[in-house]
Amino acid sequence: MQTPNEIIHQPIRLKIMAALNTLAAGQWLEFVSLKSIVDTTDGNLGAHLNTLEGAQYVLIKKDFAGKKPRTRVCLSAKGREAFAGYIAALHAILALETLDPDASGSHATNSSPDNNR
Amino acid sequence: MPPSVEEATRALREIDAIKVRAAGFQDYRAESDQLLLWGAAHALGFALSGLFPAFILLIWLLVVPISMGAGRLLARRAASEIPGIGWRYLVIIGAIFSYMVLIHVVMWPLSPEQGSMVAPLFVSALYVMRGVQMRPRYLFIGLWLSILLMTGFLFFQPVFWWWMTVVYGGSFIAFGLWLRRL
Repeated sequence: MQTPNEIIHQPIRLKIMAALNTLAAGQWLEFVSLKSIVDTTDGNLGAHLNTLEGAQYVLIKKDFAGKKPRTRVCLSAKGREAFAGYIAALHAILALETLDPDASGSHATNSSPDNNR
Repeated sequence: MPPSVEEATRALREIDAIKVRAAGFQDYRAESDQLLLWGAAHALGFALSGLFPAFILLIWLLVVPISMGAGRLLARRAASEIPGIGWRYLVIIGAIFSYMVLIHVVMWPLSPEQGSMVAPLFVSALYVMRGVQMRPRYLFIGLWLSILLMTGFLFFQPVFWWWMTVVYGGSFIAFGLWLRRL
C-alpha cells in the first residue's frame, strides 16, 4: 500500500497544505492570514513552514508593504503534486477498507504517524 | 507505515474543514474591501447630501459610478480567477442602482429621506439573504444595518443625513474591519 507523505501528514502541516491548496497556482497568501486559517501561533507556523520550504513544497517571500514587513507563502508545483498524492493515498486506504474490512485492524495496530516532525 | 483507516478519515475531514475555513476567509476578505469602499462612499455621499440638499441627484450620480469603478477593480483583484468577475460585479451593483431608480419612478413623489432609504434597505435585505445562505456574519450585518436605517428614519429625522453619514457609512467601515478578523 502507498504510504501517505510523512511531511504532510503532521496535523499543522496538513492544515497549511490544505489551506494553500485552495488558492490558484502562483497565488500568495499572507502569513497572518494563513495563521488565522490554520489557527496556530507565529512560532509554530514559522517552524512548520520552514519544514515545508525545506521539502520545496512551499515558497516563502519576504518583502515590504509600504514600510511594514510582510511574509507571504505560496504552494509550489512540487507541493501541489505532493498534496494530490497524499490525498490519493488517504483515499486508497479508505478504498482498501471498503474492499477488505479486516485490513483496518492491522492498520490501526501498526500505525504510528510521525506527528512531531 | 500507513496510517489507520480512522486516521485517514480524520485527515480527510480536516482537509475539508480547512477548505471551508479558507473559502470563508477569502470571501470575507474580498467583502471587507467592498464594505470599506462603500462605507467611505456612503459617508461622503450622505455628508454631501446633508450639506447640499439641492444637488442630491448630482451627488449620487457622481459617487455611485466612481465607487462602482473602484469596486470593480477591487473585485478583479480579489477574485481574478473567476471569469468575467468585473462585469458580474458591475451587473450586480447596476441592478441595485436600477432597482433604486425604478422604485423612485413607481413610488414618486418621495422625499429625499425616503428615497435615500431604498438602496440601503435593499442592500441590508441582500446581506440577510446571503447570511442565511452562506456565512453567518452577513446575516448579522444585514440585520444590524436594517435596524440602524429604521432607527435613523423613524427617530432621528432632524439629523437624518448625519445619522446616515456617521452611523450607516461608519457601520460599513466597522464591518469591513470586522471581516478582516477571522
